[in-house]
Amino acid sequence: MRAPLEGVRVVDLTMVWAGPFGTRLLGDYGAEVIKVEAPGQWDLLRALGLIPREEPRWYNRSAYFNHNNRNKYGLALNLGQPAGRDLLLRLCAVSDILVENYRADVMDNLGLGYEAVRTANPRLIYVSMPGHGKTGPEKDFVAYGSNVEQLAGLVSLSGYEGGEPLKTGFSYGDPMAGTALVAAVALALRQRRLTDEGQYVELAQRENLGMFVGEHLVDFSMTGELRPPLGNRHPHFAPHNRYRAAGEDAWVAVACEDEEQFRALCGVIGQPELADDGRFTTNAARKANEVALDAIIEAWTAARGHYEAMHLLQRAGVPAGAVLTIPELMADPHLRTRGQWVRQTHADAGTWEVEAPPWLLERTPGSVRLPAPGFAEHNDYVFRELLGLGAEEIDALYAAGVTADEPQPDLHR
Amino acid sequence: MQPLAGVRVLELGTFVSAPFCGKLFAGYGAEVIKVEPPEGDIARAHGPFRAGKPDRETSALFLYLNTGKKSVVVDPRTAAGREAVVALASRCDVVVENFRPSDFRALGLSYEVLRGANPRLTLVSITTFGQSGPYASYRSNNLVAFAVGGQMFITGTADDGPVKNGGYQADYQGGLNGFSAGMLALLTAERDGIGQHVDVSVQQCMAPVLESGIPYYSYLGRWSPIRRGNHMSSFIGIYPCADGYLGVHVMPRNWRPFAAAIGRGDLLSDPRFATQADRTAHSDDLMAEMYAWAADQRKRDVYARAGAGRAPITFVHTMADLVDSPQLNARGYLQRVDHPVAGEALYPGPPWWIGPAGWATGRAPLLGEHTEEVLRDLAGLSAGEIAQAGAAR
Repeated sequence: MRAPLEGVRVVDLTMVWAGPFGTRLLGDYGAEVIKVEAPGQWDLLRALGLIPREEPRWYNRSAYFNHNNRNKYGLALNLGQPAGRDLLLRLCAVSDILVENYRADVMDNLGLGYEAVRTANPRLIYVSMPGHGKTGPEKDFVAYGSNVEQLAGLVSLSGYEGGEPLKTGFSYGDPMAGTALVAAVALALRQRRLTDEGQYVELAQRENLGMFVGEHLVDFSMTGELRPPLGNRHPHFAPHNRYRAAGEDAWVAVACEDEEQFRALCGVIGQPELADDGRFTTNAARKANEVALDAIIEAWTAARGHYEAMHLLQRAGVPAGAVLTIPELMADPHLRTRGQWVRQTHADAGTWEVEAPPWLLERTPGSVRLPAPGFAEHNDYVFRELLGLGAEEIDALYAAGVTADEPQPDLHR
Repeated sequence: MQPLAGVRVLELGTFVSAPFCGKLFAGYGAEVIKVEPPEGDIARAHGPFRAGKPDRETSALFLYLNTGKKSVVVDPRTAAGREAVVALASRCDVVVENFRPSDFRALGLSYEVLRGANPRLTLVSITTFGQSGPYASYRSNNLVAFAVGGQMFITGTADDGPVKNGGYQADYQGGLNGFSAGMLALLTAERDGIGQHVDVSVQQCMAPVLESGIPYYSYLGRWSPIRRGNHMSSFIGIYPCADGYLGVHVMPRNWRPFAAAIGRGDLLSDPRFATQADRTAHSDDLMAEMYAWAADQRKRDVYARAGAGRAPITFVHTMADLVDSPQLNARGYLQRVDHPVAGEALYPGPPWWIGPAGWATGRAPLLGEHTEEVLRDLAGLSAGEIAQAGAAR
């Protein structure tokens, strides 16, 4: 069975999270991804593995890097040297996709802007993933993960009831941009089948994440109202909160959307009469009395574990979910049954569990074929097999510092 | 030409996740037919509404999530309605749905049934728990998905407990993941001439993207249960300023331009803050400096100064700030769309730019606006059959 992206070659110039997460997904679903780093400009995530720099090949053992770069080949190439730039253009000539997430001006400065690459390969699809976009007055501003969600409007809507705007728990915009990359590439590939031409695609991370709060923009432009953060509550539904469960910092989320679910909830907590209590008979009534209702529910949840509460409620038809921690996610029986975690072996890093490809395409499933590349691990494959260089030419590249087998160690201190 | 020219999608979507997926298909050029029950998608009953009072044609949530679609009223809970759904699916390339699997089957619908009508069909199912596994029949919604996907536990402060992010973030993640997965399957179906069922579990999509959380725990056995609120550290966090909130995100390479942008060149020679490790070790000291600096600053001044100096400082944009944003306005990202009942509003888009004419926002349909046209022309139903398919159970 041919994978969805089998036969598609990707030149991956991205670093850190958004881009590498996206190109990893392309690799998960069959693309051949060649990750390009330079001896003096390698991926920051290699440095964030919590592996002491005294240890051998510490830069190949960062789990943070290795999770986001599996299913890729690794090439070391200094694009700042003319020979490096020329080889990159030759690689583009035999590839289908280029993805980059440099600051807006970097690729042009390297002589690797879209027009230059299009000349080398008019069928190539060139995707840029800048924070703000390649145009506009803020195009050169720096924006990392936590900045992106502020610019998208999400942070202004998040937070506890009556509280300050709140950041998400992680660099949320990054994986959302990476996820969007797959659709953007697939759209361009479809169009290329019809036109036989590549094109330029621009995925500005703040714009992509802005789509996740779009109803608030429509709302504001119609009503002029700014909505304050609601915490775990909902504008209409009640109960709609997370409740303390037995154990330290343990919680279960419960959210009823209609009378049937609420009646079931009352039954599970042993208070069926509440369903006919005038304070709680409709969503509007429950919303008006949600503080009192929350106290009643929490008195029940606090006496049992979060999973136990979830299962008891769910078996009665009440939407409920344990607030899972990272260790719990890795142990969760449901995710285990669905094959969420798979063992992988890496030459320098050993054997451990990584996440499976996220979407189950039953006829053409994703796969984990390659562990993440060590730095420069596939220089030989790319130089010899893809670009047809001879041994002397390759030696000259090493001698000139266009490539190397090891990264320069003083970066990202 | 739009990238999805010639593609037809049937959306059996309710509320947010599948409708967002359908919206993306429509925006990039597919014909998207949204099936609604006689009472309409539940998002129509949710506000906020244009004039503050409920009106199924002026819900901001519905208007936004259903741009560029056709609305067909069919009640799949009746035999005639179910037959109309299958007839429509036989004429489509993709079906997107977000029913609980057991609810979908209860309607007499399944991948097997739809494949029987159309072997090339891609069926994209977006649910919290997916199509299989011990929780597959559990009920869910945005809050529950946010909890079981692991994002809630890490959001908020240690004292105030886990909290969800604003709006419907788990549902939106489901919609985007459904679109990316669905696009891969559509490409594959067009290549092979055979469709397939695509199972998108929001929990499964959310769990691995907790930054370094899973990698550190799985590989090193390290895990911190601490919720850090607005401060991942002193140099990655949000600080109140005179007219709003400022966000800083300083990586090692940004320390020098950052100190310059905030007018604190003296910090560069302070040994407590010399390296990122030093700044982490003296985080409380640096945080105190940050609070003191930010308090009397104005957000737009700081943002412009930091941007010019390439320092990673932004401000927390409200919806009013988005509407005023010089950047978003210069790029044409805020699109003014008219609607016959709700009137004009601003809609964000596209999520990404693919050619000058790659995306079109369109407007949301009125309930049942295209029922007759679609059921007659596409499904070949008579007037009587159309009335029967749309009649409530």
